[in-house]
Amino acid sequence: MSSFKEFKIKWGMAIDLDKCTGCGACMVACQAENNIAPQPDASNKLKSLNWLVVYELTNGKPFPEHEVAYLPRPCMQCGKPSCVSVCPVIATEKNEEGGIVSQIYPRCIGCRYCMASCPYHARYFNWFDPIWPEGMDKTLTPDVSVRPRGVVEKCSFCHHRFMQAKDKARVEGRDPNALNDGDYITSCTEACPNGAIVFGDVNNPAHKVHELVKSKYAFRLLERLGTDPQVYYVSRREWVRRLGDNYLENEKVKG
Amino acid sequence: MALDRRGFLKFIGGATAGILATPVVWKSLDDVSIWSQNWSWIPRNIDGANSYVPTVSKLCPSGVGVRVRLVDGRPVRVLTNNDHPLGGGLSSIAAAEVQLLYSPSRMKRPLKRTADGAYVGITWEEAETMLVEGLKKAKGGDKLAVVSGDETGTINELFTALAAEMGSKSCFLMPGEAQPAAKAWELMGGEGQVGYDIEKSDYVLAIGANVLETWGPVIRNRHAFRVGRPHGEAPAVRFAYAGPVQNNTASTADVWLAIRPGTEAVLALGLANLLIKAGAASPAADFAEFRALAARFTPEQVAAQTGVDAKRLAAVAQELAKAKRPLVIAGSEFGQGGGAAPVLAGLALNSLLGSMNREGGIRALPYARKVVPAAMDRKALLQNDLVAWLGKVASGKAAAPQAVVFYEANPVYALPQADAVKATLAMACDLVLPVPMGLERFDDVDTPYGCGQVVYALAVPALAPLVDARPAGDVVIGIAKKLGADLGVAAFADALKAKAEARGASFTEPSATNAHVSGAVLPVNGIALRPDVLSKAIDVKAPAFPVALAPVAKLNVGTSMTATPPFNTKTVRRWEIQGKELYVMMNGATAAKLGLRKHDRIELSNPAGKFTVRVNVFEGVMNDTVAVPAGHGHTAFDEFSKGKGENVMRLLAAGAEPGTGLSVWTSAGVNIAKA
Repeated sequence: MSSFKEFKIKWGMAIDLDKCTGCGACMVACQAENNIAPQPDASNKLKSLNWLVVYELTNGKPFPEHEVAYLPRPCMQCGKPSCVSVCPVIATEKNEEGGIVSQIYPRCIGCRYCMASCPYHARYFNWFDPIWPEGMDKTLTPDVSVRPRGVVEKCSFCHHRFMQAKDKARVEGRDPNALNDGDYITSCTEACPNGAIVFGDVNNPAHKVHELVKSKYAFRLLERLGTDPQVYYVSRREWVRRLGDNYLENEKVKG
Repeated sequence: MALDRRGFLKFIGGATAGILATPVVWKSLDDVSIWSQNWSWIPRNIDGANSYVPTVSKLCPSGVGVRVRLVDGRPVRVLTNNDHPLGGGLSSIAAAEVQLLYSPSRMKRPLKRTADGAYVGITWEEAETMLVEGLKKAKGGDKLAVVSGDETGTINELFTALAAEMGSKSCFLMPGEAQPAAKAWELMGGEGQVGYDIEKSDYVLAIGANVLETWGPVIRNRHAFRVGRPHGEAPAVRFAYAGPVQNNTASTADVWLAIRPGTEAVLALGLANLLIKAGAASPAADFAEFRALAARFTPEQVAAQTGVDAKRLAAVAQELAKAKRPLVIAGSEFGQGGGAAPVLAGLALNSLLGSMNREGGIRALPYARKVVPAAMDRKALLQNDLVAWLGKVASGKAAAPQAVVFYEANPVYALPQADAVKATLAMACDLVLPVPMGLERFDDVDTPYGCGQVVYALAVPALAPLVDARPAGDVVIGIAKKLGADLGVAAFADALKAKAEARGASFTEPSATNAHVSGAVLPVNGIALRPDVLSKAIDVKAPAFPVALAPVAKLNVGTSMTATPPFNTKTVRRWEIQGKELYVMMNGATAAKLGLRKHDRIELSNPAGKFTVRVNVFEGVMNDTVAVPAGHGHTAFDEFSKGKGENVMRLLAAGAEPGTGLSVWTSAGVNIAKA
């Protein structure tokens, strides 16, 4: 595998799956923030486009021993992103301080190698041009460009909010590379009433997420693939953690 | 001069070098790359200065406090407002509220129904003239009825005052949790509005009430959940949920007690029995009778009636007894039709636990005084039962109204036995008047049912109405004037100002929330547990159907007033809607018993109605129960909702609760046949 940069700042999430009720507010807040077009029929989940998807998890036991949990899945912003190494046109990179995997739409040629290589299904292809109902395009935010058909897109950790936070720090005479905890958070983090998502610099001890990812209950999805995701999940429920990776039947689950 | 081969090649080479040396090629390539990406049909971002307006959502039943982000005066986002007493996050409806301003199904002008049933646009002047003429015919003797879908607004005072001036007391709210609770609280002798102090509780048991998704001020509840269960730490507050479906609340609760639909009160009495046996008592005068009633609900009896696991029930009783500030919240699992019995039994449990009138328990919150002299106050309005009245009209026991005014209400979709409702009132409406949406108008939210404190929140317009809409309050005042009535307020804004003052709020200074919290509580003295009423009310016969019906309410599919907001189609689960077909849930054992497998097409039927759906096997459903997602099956609205799935209300028929007479529709059953 090609080598990847190490970063001083690493934006990441700790998502407490014991707090997520699966209400979907994060998915709606994400679409509104990132100018994702609505879909009249989104029942075919292979054809619906959403940077953040809430999956339903089950412990697989019959009633009444059944338990259910919900797992919000943004882009994992992998430390060793498999999408970056397969992109033939450098349309996706992991190059900027903060460790967010970029997606540069004008460069993307729509080959979808990245989608095939992403183990988290976090990337989506625009099969069609985005369409808003008449007049609804007036609600587009000025922060995120609209993507045409033929390109791949994915969660950017609301990168525009990162830029805005840095700009604000500069204006206030603070170091833009030393943002305080909470200066920059994603739209989904902000929207969740349960506080299931905590966002911050995983490398910065002053940020809450720094401690949370060290929890013995913290895990990452398909960790053993070596993708080194910057999104961590937390659950005290062993069966939830077990679903985070391909464990053998009798293998001990992490945490 | 002859051009030889060498000369020709030199010419070609020279010409090529010459062309490459000019900017033509490079400029053309650049232009091609720009033109090929210059898609005029892709919307462009429009930049501008940001501004933020703090307000409260009138669209979302949770009444969530929000901030609207505007760019150059254009609303682009609804954002959280963490300082707001009803804020702290977003609901999935409120998050889409800005986009709903441009909903394809939004009415753009007043509409009149013509003789052939089609609607044509008319001017406001024509509409108001029609309205005045229509109302004149309905003067005197309860000939006018008003149905409001707004449970918390001062607007109801204007509508009810207009009705009073017309000689009518037929004013109703659309059914919700507040009405049965008000009835229960009144029966117990409580004053004011019953409040639940979730924030300060250390053990919350929700019986039926879907406290983290649809019950009460949901975002406020969920903020309390957030604070009580710090990220990555052991929870400081335990949550238990009892209901027929492992819904959103049950998914994060520490305990899920699976019970049959409509048996909430029996479960509560079973818990009361266990608590009393363990030494709990209530200071209520009728405690001895209550104890005798509760004694009938032995764990075996409760297990037989509700289907609950007796060991789990005992464990919850122990946990409740051990908790320092336990709180029991009872209600209907889909937010309506539950009757007073569950709330009554739930409040009795609170009394046994010593949770009456203390922090982290039950609070009696004062109602605000009326600001429109002739209006019906909230307490009186909550006593009127719309479903019972419709039943009386249908059976000829009450006079059919000459005119009905519906305000933000969609009874044909949202009431039980929707088809019968439509027939009763000979709907559709003759006149449809657009009101500004919540983000376009002044309005208010006064202490939604479920709040543990008095909260008064002002809705402030973030923008001018995008369509030819007029504020309902001012239209009502104007119409009243034309009918020769003086409602005592010159403008709706004056009514809001007076209401704010009545709640001790002042909004003269710019505020980050436009909301006011008051610590005012009423004393809770001489509460009765009313075992006399309870013993009758719980005597509901189990439905004589092979399978019980459990509707499942979720906010992401919108309300009967919004249908599913455009963004929210993606939040509907895969096996909830496929194309236009609705999936219903049942556990594997039930499916096997009925000989069904996942994706099988079945017909659900009972005397109220029938429709065809497909089967999804989900183990988080009570035995012999089918869980039907609510909020689908719209016949109106737009491509995001219309014609998708089925409306579960068509399978629900209301009956009267013995002892209280309230309309109830939580104990329904269905026949299931392969379709």
